[in-house]
Amino acid sequence: MSYFNIDAAAQNTYDAIVVGSGISGGWAAKELTGKGLRTLVLERGRDVRHVTDYPTTMMQPWEFEHRGQLPKEVRDANPIISKCYAFYEGTQHFFVKDAEHPYVQEKPFDWIRGYQVGGKSLMWARQTQRWSDFDFDGPARDGFAVDWPIRYKDIAPWYSYVEKFAGISGNKDGLASLPDGEFLPPHEWNCVEKHFQQKIAGKYKDRHVIMGRAAHITQPQPIHLQQGRAQCQHRTICERGCPYGGYFSSNSSTIPWAMRTGKMTLRPHSVVHSIIYDEAKKRAVGVRVIDAQTKQMQEFYAKIIFLNAAALNSNLVLLNSTSNRFPNGLGNDSGVLGKYVAFHNYRAGISAEFDGNLDSTTEGRRPNSPYIPRFRNLLKQETDFLRGYAAGFSAGRISRADQSGLGADLKQGLLNPKLGGWYVGSHMMGETIPKETNYVALDSSLKDPFGIPQLKIAIDYDANDDKMVKDYQEQMTEMFTVAGFTNIRVRDDHRNPGLDIHEMGGARMGNDPKTSILNKWNQVHSCPNVFVTDGACMTSTSTQNPSLTYMALTARAADYAVKMMKQKSL
Amino acid sequence: MVATAVGGLAVLPSWATRWTPESLRATGPMGGLISSAETNLLAELVETIIPATPATDPSKGEIPGAKALNVHQFVQKMVADCYDKAAQDTFRKGFTALDEVAKATGGKSFLETDAAGRLNVLKQMQQSTVPGQKEFLSLVKNLTIRGYMNSEYVMTNLTHYEMVPGRYKGCVPVAG
Repeated sequence: MSYFNIDAAAQNTYDAIVVGSGISGGWAAKELTGKGLRTLVLERGRDVRHVTDYPTTMMQPWEFEHRGQLPKEVRDANPIISKCYAFYEGTQHFFVKDAEHPYVQEKPFDWIRGYQVGGKSLMWARQTQRWSDFDFDGPARDGFAVDWPIRYKDIAPWYSYVEKFAGISGNKDGLASLPDGEFLPPHEWNCVEKHFQQKIAGKYKDRHVIMGRAAHITQPQPIHLQQGRAQCQHRTICERGCPYGGYFSSNSSTIPWAMRTGKMTLRPHSVVHSIIYDEAKKRAVGVRVIDAQTKQMQEFYAKIIFLNAAALNSNLVLLNSTSNRFPNGLGNDSGVLGKYVAFHNYRAGISAEFDGNLDSTTEGRRPNSPYIPRFRNLLKQETDFLRGYAAGFSAGRISRADQSGLGADLKQGLLNPKLGGWYVGSHMMGETIPKETNYVALDSSLKDPFGIPQLKIAIDYDANDDKMVKDYQEQMTEMFTVAGFTNIRVRDDHRNPGLDIHEMGGARMGNDPKTSILNKWNQVHSCPNVFVTDGACMTSTSTQNPSLTYMALTARAADYAVKMMKQKSL
Repeated sequence: MVATAVGGLAVLPSWATRWTPESLRATGPMGGLISSAETNLLAELVETIIPATPATDPSKGEIPGAKALNVHQFVQKMVADCYDKAAQDTFRKGFTALDEVAKATGGKSFLETDAAGRLNVLKQMQQSTVPGQKEFLSLVKNLTIRGYMNSEYVMTNLTHYEMVPGRYKGCVPVAG
């Protein structure tokens, strides 16, 4: 009996466990296996293999039964996920349906999730902007949250490290607020975007319009070819999975790379219930896993654990990991676990038209767009709200067909579209301030289908966000006017938090264990063999799309973890 | 049952010929929203909205209309699967109205009316103040446009959709 148990335990023992296989979990898997660790990667969803499990990737528009639109039954059954821009007939299999993982909305929150190998890295928007010290200095300078325990110099080499492997396109713009990286050639501008860039540069010293840095292989390097990835083909149907590996995902890149080391065991259908804390050894020794198919609970053991379940689910796992030592969740001596969650404010947008450059148009498609780095309150506080916003920007020209007729007239109109003028548009990406009152917690009674407490989410906008929306609308209106755009219309869609899919924090990094969960190496202060390197670790949100920072933090933490293991100090 | 659900009426086995439009309502091709007679009527309706026309180069024959591209099946599928009950009711009731307007305009049912007359019926409906008539035509017209423009034939031969552009050129001169 005991022999059997010992044997079973040995079989379930690894050097490292990675919880989650999304954008950060994939990096943890790659780095830890690359350094020789026998690594178990636990993924709560099904396996999605590169290319073969992208069922819609080669489908032509007419091959979709409803030409892309979702049936009413699907939309009615999934009011939350149906709000996501990337959820349609060609991608629905990559998103968690509302009923599959219930949660409690103490305040309205649209929680967008992808439970499968690769997680949301399959469907992400692929924008990869570095942080600078204007971002890391934010909380300390402006007096909110806690000071970040790292600065740009700590993460810069790791940005370079992950960028080279992932393949990031971009232009070296030389901006202190948005440091340059290891770039493949940038995407092309169109004439009107260039016009806007020049007008803004002529009017404002401190406002810049640049080409977005995006995880697309615009010119494959040997390292990309070694991954079996090829040049981006500009199909712009990335969220269905890319057979060329033209954009970065765990599925096309880090997971198969880790697999090739022979050191990775990938276990799909493995819902992590909690982390096991050994009171005698005073360390985490493994995780409890519920097999999603059999509903049986099993334990797996390892020397180190990387928690990469995606921001809110990593909070859930920590909160649900209770012991005598940690009655309120693993590492939660401070009581701040689950609190100070923040996100990006995507409420506002602006659109307009432009009468110039009518002799030029565009050809092909571009999976990226120009980007306006944060300029508000950058060098000093200058408004009545804290922090600022970045913005996406793009221009395009569409052909319009006359649909007014009937019969042969209508057909004539449809098949002879007229090239219309230029339209331009932008959307905001605002920093929100982490607050104690924006939190997630375990519901005291409701359980999910696996018997795990449901996550209760209480996250809301505040007056700072409202002021920022107004300022974005005013400033962009002014900038559009400067560029000679007409018919300018601003909007505020009052979307729920969550739909930005940039939820962050809850297990924030900090120098002081009394006010933070993780240290500067993403280690749980009071349980150092547990690392949290996904969005849960974020002390503040700044304005950049966060995935690149998660990748860099993960590679950095994995490097540190293995060094400490070799020194026997972990 | 399986044959009707998957292949439509054209592949019905001979033993099914005694099925009536009424019996098909419950299990019909598109969830029983409309009868097979109404399906035939819909095919002529979408063809009236977008008819077959001669190609510019007559040696190339004609450019197919909506019926030849099975757009009527797409319209039914969309109304059945993607629209709410109010739109589905408008759709179902519209066929009776179509014949009523046809009879009021030319004294014949829609199917008995010639091509020019059918177009005239639709123009009447487009301006109708009778509740549901304009809405019916608008619903069918919009879906017909969508089904036609997103058909393989049109996207391949006429609008030349590129699945894999392989490029983005930001500033190219407008042709012509």
